[in-house]
Amino acid sequence: MSDMTNREVLLSLRNVEISFDNGGKEKFKAVQDANFDIYKGETFALVGESGSGKTTIGRAIMRINPLSNGEITFEGNRISGKLSKQEDMNVIRNIQMIFQDPAASLNERATIEYIISEGLYNFHLYENEEDRIAKVDKALEEVGLLPEHKSRYPHEFSGGQRQRVGIARALIMEPKLIVADEPISALDVSIRAQVLNLMNKLKAEKSLTYLFIAHDLSVVRFIADRVAVIHLGRIVEIAETEELFAHPLHPYTISLLSAVPMPDPIIEKQREPIVYTETVAEKTGPDYEMREIRPGHYVYCTPEQGIEYYNTSMNQ
Amino acid sequence: MEKMQDNLFEFAAFDEKESEHIAAPRYSYWKSVWRTFVRSWVTIPLTIFVIALVVFSLVQPLQSGYTPTVAPNINNQEMKYLAPSGEHIFGTDNIGNEVWDVVWAGARNSIIVSFVSAAVILVIGILVGAVWGFSKKMDKWMIEVYNIFANVPYLLLVMVLSYVLGPGLGTLIIVFSCIDWLFLAYFIRTQVMIIRDREYNMASKCLGTKTITMILKNILPYLVSVIVTYIARLIPSLISYEVFLSYLGLGLGSNYASLGRTISQYVSFMQGYPHLFWIPVLTLAVLSMSLYVVGQKLADATDPRTHR
Amino acid sequence: MKNIVISAKDIEVQFRVRDNYLTAIRNVSLDLYEGETFAIVGESGSGKSVFTKTFTGMLESNGKITNGSVMYHGQDLTKLTKEKDWAGIRGVKIATIFQDPMTSLNPIRTIGSQITEVIEKHQKLSKADAKKQAIEIMERVGITNAAERFDNYPFQYSGGMRQRIVIAIALSCHPEILICDEPTTALDVTIQAQIIKLIKDLQKELGFTTIYITHDLGVVANVADRVGVMYGGQIIEYGTVEEIFYDPKHPYTWALLSALPQLGVKGEDLYYITGTPPSLYNKIKGDAFAPRNPHALKIDFEQEPPFFRVSDTHYAKTWLLDPRAPKLEKPEAIQNLHEKITRMTSKGGAFHVGHD
Repeated sequence: MSDMTNREVLLSLRNVEISFDNGGKEKFKAVQDANFDIYKGETFALVGESGSGKTTIGRAIMRINPLSNGEITFEGNRISGKLSKQEDMNVIRNIQMIFQDPAASLNERATIEYIISEGLYNFHLYENEEDRIAKVDKALEEVGLLPEHKSRYPHEFSGGQRQRVGIARALIMEPKLIVADEPISALDVSIRAQVLNLMNKLKAEKSLTYLFIAHDLSVVRFIADRVAVIHLGRIVEIAETEELFAHPLHPYTISLLSAVPMPDPIIEKQREPIVYTETVAEKTGPDYEMREIRPGHYVYCTPEQGIEYYNTSMNQ
Repeated sequence: MEKMQDNLFEFAAFDEKESEHIAAPRYSYWKSVWRTFVRSWVTIPLTIFVIALVVFSLVQPLQSGYTPTVAPNINNQEMKYLAPSGEHIFGTDNIGNEVWDVVWAGARNSIIVSFVSAAVILVIGILVGAVWGFSKKMDKWMIEVYNIFANVPYLLLVMVLSYVLGPGLGTLIIVFSCIDWLFLAYFIRTQVMIIRDREYNMASKCLGTKTITMILKNILPYLVSVIVTYIARLIPSLISYEVFLSYLGLGLGSNYASLGRTISQYVSFMQGYPHLFWIPVLTLAVLSMSLYVVGQKLADATDPRTHR
Repeated sequence: MKNIVISAKDIEVQFRVRDNYLTAIRNVSLDLYEGETFAIVGESGSGKSVFTKTFTGMLESNGKITNGSVMYHGQDLTKLTKEKDWAGIRGVKIATIFQDPMTSLNPIRTIGSQITEVIEKHQKLSKADAKKQAIEIMERVGITNAAERFDNYPFQYSGGMRQRIVIAIALSCHPEILICDEPTTALDVTIQAQIIKLIKDLQKELGFTTIYITHDLGVVANVADRVGVMYGGQIIEYGTVEEIFYDPKHPYTWALLSALPQLGVKGEDLYYITGTPPSLYNKIKGDAFAPRNPHALKIDFEQEPPFFRVSDTHYAKTWLLDPRAPKLEKPEAIQNLHEKITRMTSKGGAFHVGHD
């Protein structure tokens, strides 16, 4: 984390564009020109609001959404577009996903044992039945669930438990990268903390790398090492977490930060949300690109804006 | 007493794992289906009745040996037009046949045609429908095939086909099967499309699950209830189609016993001997209705929303 | 002392679900004062929505108020059974804004016609005047080009704009009480901040009393004058917003506050509680939170705690406040809360914004 040059890139997006056919003549560009690297062992957060394209990027990495331009590489190998059977299997084993809604993402008609074993079955990743059961039990234990849960069905569990089943299902594949798409936003507030702690614990134990997709900067500050802010399909700012919170530069990031509610009545009542007008975001042109304003801190801007951002950051 | 009161203000032991246990009894889908099914008091007697009716219809004609081509009492005037009685349960008809035997022989053929056709329709319809729902390529041309057949009047198709193939049990089964599977397949296709893109299927895809496994494990279990509902409607409707076609002389030929043809023959005795008309009609009604009601009850029970 | 606008006493609500009874609200009492904002916080299933639905007679058909009264202008609202009894109250004197604006809007009618309809119904105005007033209200809730957007349909509006329209409709009858039932939960954070500000500004201007239902304590800090924390169908602690945030007494309030990621320290575990809220199908013995409470006393499993007085305005339903109970400090994460958050939001802090 500290020494940038020594870090090994795990996943990399280059000029990624994802568009959808929405019936009209023009295709809707959900994501435009996305570029970022995720380093081995870090938690990389992708923050944005609904319609920003953050989930679309997550799903593109999972190869659910095809790219209309650019490429995604994992450990240096292209994983977007057509892959051979062997490559396909490799990607599946190495990149797993945790979904937002634990109620919707588990098969209600399958037992927990089947749900967690599903990946093992698909690639026959076990020696015999005993071995499979042992692996399932281990995965359950790692997420704080009990072996007796194997024969239960998802609807018998609470939201937090279900989300942990979803984590166990991903974990059993022994992935290197986990794409977590808003893993706590559908959960009740009292159990969000438990899932966040669990994710941190697993990351340390299994040297996992996370792409953490979120809309809430307060969660991101707690869990992420680096952050990319995305707005209307375009990444507007990338920086290390401490750096981003100390020197938020893009006006959209500042607006997001000002909207995080603080649990303190005296302070919260004085805070004014900083409204970000969409016209600024839509401003784009040949002058606009991701520019490094401070070390490792990139902002989507013109050269003039870059100078302005640099100057403000010196006063922060 | 005071001492005990104070003890209550000690911290209680706290076990984090405790809250993970699930107290509720283990859930099992099919057990819950069974429990929901038997909850209503009518279902058990009705189900027994339906099974008995079907088994009886299948067995009784074997024992009576009735065939429409043979009329042993045709010259025995005393055996004609007898009213229902202890000896002749449903009475006798214009050619001295036991109506009892005639009706069950007809019911037997109706049941054979409808059950066998339904089985063929289900197997083909579900298989094709499930793949159809998943494959965008297949959807493009299948939908054209469907549109053609869906827009030709069903009866016309059935009539033309049975005319071409000639009357008979096998013909009817072929006729029903080769048209109706398409409608079921289309129905399944639509159902599959509704749940195909749900998140849990996306999760399976991310785990590398093959389409066929997803159909079997992720899709079909969700469709049990709608499929049972479909069957509950399909079987009575096939029975009534058989009867209707035979009534028109297009279904089972004169070599086969058939409720439809029996009704068409007896309809002329409506004035003098109404029981001849009403007995096969009511038997048909009871058979279809009870099959339908039991099917619906089963369909309800297979819907997990009705489980407790 | 301020005037009481509405007063709920010992409310119990039961739902019949198939053959079982679910007691969603277990003897809740609450007085609301004129012009204040009272926030009700709780998780899903805590009963926060159900409770306020008794103020407008909007319980689902299988639900029933089985005990208690809601006194409003000398009338017991729990006694109103017919739809026409509610005519002058629901949507007029007591209006509700829901989480999903589309529950209140008709998708196939224009925004303008839906606002004017409400205005015409309650004020005797000509068509032209009603339209003029509707456009004024639309402008007031922050719809730019209101006159042009008057004839748009709901689907042509964004989620945040729809919620603004719902607010406009709710306020067009000048209600005395506005119930906001998670009005910003479905919205983006930046829009949420704007909607909250809008509701607060309108309240200042029009002086209505607000009940704000939410699961988000950050929002509570922003909007509330007083707060009630609900758990397992009961209010378990209530007080002024400062008392609840700076001096919480109930372990559940502690847990809710300490688990906020805003307070998390990177690299350390967040404070968390396990388990799930109790099933309200069963009779609850003792303190409903006890099984999830790491600080539970033995008595919590035996006997339901009464409300203990902390101050004139602050009460908490926990045996920890009994003089016989051992003394227990609140979790570290929420000690010196104000100092911590002051640091976070001032220059150099993680949540500092602005260029001062």
